[in-house]
Amino acid sequence: MRYGSTPRLKRDLITLGVVSVAYLAVSTFVTNSYYQLIMTLLPIWAAFGVSWNILSGYGGQLSFGHAAFFGIGAYVVTLALVYWNLTPWLGIPLGMIVAGCAAVLIGLPTFRLRGHYFALSMLAYPLAILYFLQYLGFQEMSLPMHRENPAAFLEFTDPRLYTVVAVGLLIAAIFVCMLVENSRFGLALLAIRQNELAAEAAGINARLWKMRALVTSGMIAASAGGLYACVLLVVTPDSVFGMLVSAQAVVVTLFGGVASVWGPVIGAAILVPLAESLNAELGNYLPGIQGVVYGVAIIGIMLASPDGLFWTIRDRFFRPKAPAPLPVSLAASAPPPTRAATAGSPLLKVEGLSRSFGGLRAVSQVSFEVNAGEILGIIGPNGAGKTTLFNLLNGVLSSDAGSAILGGESMLDRKVHQVCRMGVGRTFQVARSFPRLPLLDNVIVGAYGAGLADAEAIASAAQALERVGLAAQAGLPAGQLTNKQLRLMELARALAGAPRLLLLDETLAGLGRDECDDVLDVLQRLRGEGMTVVIIEHTMHAMMRIADRFVVLDHGRVLASGLPREVVEDRTVIEAYLGKKWAAKQDA
Amino acid sequence: MTDLSRRSTMGLGLAAGAATLASRRARAQTPAEVKIAMLVPLSGPWARQGILEQMGARLAVDDVNNAGGIKSMGGAKLKLVEYDTQDSAEKAKDAAQRMIAQEPELVGGFGCWLSTFTLAATEVTERAELPWLTLSYSDLITGRGFKHVFQSSPTADRQAEEELPMIMDLAQKASGKKPTKVAFIGDNTASSVSFMKPMRAHVVADQGLTIVADEVYTPPLTDATTMIQHVRSGRPDFVVFQSTNVPDDKLLADKFAEFNMKSDRLPKIGGGGHWAVPELLNVAGAENLEGILVGLANWPGKRQADLEKRFMARTGEPWFGHDSIFAYVHVMILKEALEKCGVADRRKVSEAIHALDMTDGPALFFPDGHLKYDEKGRRVGAKLCVVQWRGGKPVPVYPPSIATQDVLWPRV
Repeated sequence: MRYGSTPRLKRDLITLGVVSVAYLAVSTFVTNSYYQLIMTLLPIWAAFGVSWNILSGYGGQLSFGHAAFFGIGAYVVTLALVYWNLTPWLGIPLGMIVAGCAAVLIGLPTFRLRGHYFALSMLAYPLAILYFLQYLGFQEMSLPMHRENPAAFLEFTDPRLYTVVAVGLLIAAIFVCMLVENSRFGLALLAIRQNELAAEAAGINARLWKMRALVTSGMIAASAGGLYACVLLVVTPDSVFGMLVSAQAVVVTLFGGVASVWGPVIGAAILVPLAESLNAELGNYLPGIQGVVYGVAIIGIMLASPDGLFWTIRDRFFRPKAPAPLPVSLAASAPPPTRAATAGSPLLKVEGLSRSFGGLRAVSQVSFEVNAGEILGIIGPNGAGKTTLFNLLNGVLSSDAGSAILGGESMLDRKVHQVCRMGVGRTFQVARSFPRLPLLDNVIVGAYGAGLADAEAIASAAQALERVGLAAQAGLPAGQLTNKQLRLMELARALAGAPRLLLLDETLAGLGRDECDDVLDVLQRLRGEGMTVVIIEHTMHAMMRIADRFVVLDHGRVLASGLPREVVEDRTVIEAYLGKKWAAKQDA
Repeated sequence: MTDLSRRSTMGLGLAAGAATLASRRARAQTPAEVKIAMLVPLSGPWARQGILEQMGARLAVDDVNNAGGIKSMGGAKLKLVEYDTQDSAEKAKDAAQRMIAQEPELVGGFGCWLSTFTLAATEVTERAELPWLTLSYSDLITGRGFKHVFQSSPTADRQAEEELPMIMDLAQKASGKKPTKVAFIGDNTASSVSFMKPMRAHVVADQGLTIVADEVYTPPLTDATTMIQHVRSGRPDFVVFQSTNVPDDKLLADKFAEFNMKSDRLPKIGGGGHWAVPELLNVAGAENLEGILVGLANWPGKRQADLEKRFMARTGEPWFGHDSIFAYVHVMILKEALEKCGVADRRKVSEAIHALDMTDGPALFFPDGHLKYDEKGRRVGAKLCVVQWRGGKPVPVYPPSIATQDVLWPRV
């Protein structure tokens, strides 16, 4: 469980219980059969929204094709009932299994895509399945009526019992969602959503977690679809795989609140009854009124509160209280800061590393060594290939030639998160934070990334915050931090994974002189603790204060390396930085 | 206010209350209105068919009410409540759900034209025990063991078995020669697939026919040239179309005309109501349609000449067709059942429909002149009828009970 999740979980579970009981109590008094149907559809669409929320809300992997899973659930239930006389009580779980397998098949190729490309290609799956089913001749399937023992086939004469089943399904879906939200699963998804590269650099296997999210999400969607088929009685490809079905999940969640357990429930609770009762009263004169309601709702909500109703209401009326500082005992229980490395022995050995982009040789034949416990400064003018070098080392880019050996193992040809697992922490030129997450969670991501268990991860993150001096701000959302604090946060996130080597990319960029000094103090303290650091920096005076040795890059090549004083007096270095004229003037 | 006036006011109130109660009870005994429902597509791609049904149904309700309503119920008037299936099975089922919820006094209904919609809506009406009449063809509709659904058309599988023998018969009578070669052109939608299955399996062979071309396309049809070339090279005696919409029908009729194979040289048989609608005439033209035969589940015959005139005068439609007559007869069947049971109770009405066995009254609106539903709810002896395009109008040519003209079949 994530830090601080127990009280939230308890509060949410109580709310869930109260709301469910109240809802069921109200539903027993509804006698109009159409309103009874609405009371059944509401939890079904809410559950579908919850499933979408796990992948697209928490994980940020926008899916416009969630109907694929919904429809699979509906069709498996229907076909199993028609051809094998299998009761939907078993058909729904079967549908979930099929949808889970489908999620793997869909995820394998589709997660190669990102952003809009992912969203658009997800759109294709339900449409493809739709035509496939039409081709197979399953245009219209009705669920056979069972006059004997109908309850065993999920058929009730009293429609209110459908509502009970639907509410049960929604409770299960919400419970799964709560477990996801409050565990490392949810944190990994939130991190991926907010910054996939940062999450991977923090050691999170984004592909794996996204796949898990898709499977979980697909299975919940299938259960909602299966029950929907039982309520609908007639299943057509359009009614379960259609565009509007996918849109339903998106709309209720966007309306209610993205990445919140309650979002889809709020969205469904408002939109489904609104649209359906308008349809009931006006459907005969204004067919398609639901579509208008959804359209207006989505436009309105996008303008007024793009994150959804839940977040707007919470931000306006329930300002989260100032977070309590972390208990001191937390950090104390952490393992000792760094893995012991014999000071002075070479930790990282880079040889002949090269990478070109077309004709541009961004990094060319770069070789250097980093000794354990030292701070190596990489300097060079803009465009010298410094960041590319880091990207090669931590797996963001692949190299054309050369080797990089960390403690006897090659760092090359690994994925970003695998490099992180080798004990390499990385920060970015532009701080990559997870703005909605509290500072502590931002840092815990790093600890999870290194494979620590829950308690250990929390302790390690608390300790990392203490080491960079941010323990007091642990509860603040990262979005509220100053630039310096963000830099330190990134440092802490890298530290939380207990790395052997830190790669810091322009950690001092954009900082004022005093702020700069504070960060330098932290770095010095880290060196005192035996940490090995490679730092890219422009500002020479800061580097002079902190680095033990320099490597100077220019046009992708190593220009010079050695002790700081020697390097800054090197003629070629001065030329590279200040031009030949300046060098000539120096000579004169 | 004085005591007296207060007391008198109270008295007045009580009296008024009693009067209301009394009148309500009186109404319950002999309802001034009996509600029946029509659930058909009134919007979306099938709206035209729904509107044709609506025209027939409204005419029927007015006819019943002008003739004194339901006599066994003290002259109670029929009231038609209309619901729109819109354009999908889901919406049709939803509309049925609304109808059941909002109109608890319904005693029966009919619809929904498209089999898909009927299948969905009857899942609801059956659970509400509401007697439901339909013109839809799919055999699934009455293959589910439902007790309150009545199908007035021959089912799709029966139609497939009946159509070819009937055509052979017509051809023999008209030309004196039995055809031996047939060509098929059809799309791959559900109804076409299920229609073609028994055809290919045994019906063709049973009739001593050989298939010289069997063309299948995915609608909408964009170009019929290659298919028609195949058909032409096979030199069939006649062609059977299994298309499902007006644009495809038009393209096929046009292309055959272009290849100089109008129906005076190559007889053609289309299936389904869309082959006999005014829209097809508007787009394809009388010349290219001339002579095309259309197999249908019902068509007003010579017995309905007067009704047809009234319908055309009232609606401005060029003729009284398949969809409108079905709606008309369904209202009449509900009226007949109400007359028989004499109470506005849907279960009794359903029983009364099951018990009908007539060869007069509403039975005369079917070509075979018999009104009786079997235990599955299928109309006993329901038969296909055939109309032929003649001078820009579909004219009934078979069975003889409705035929106003003899079929034209080229003597090759």
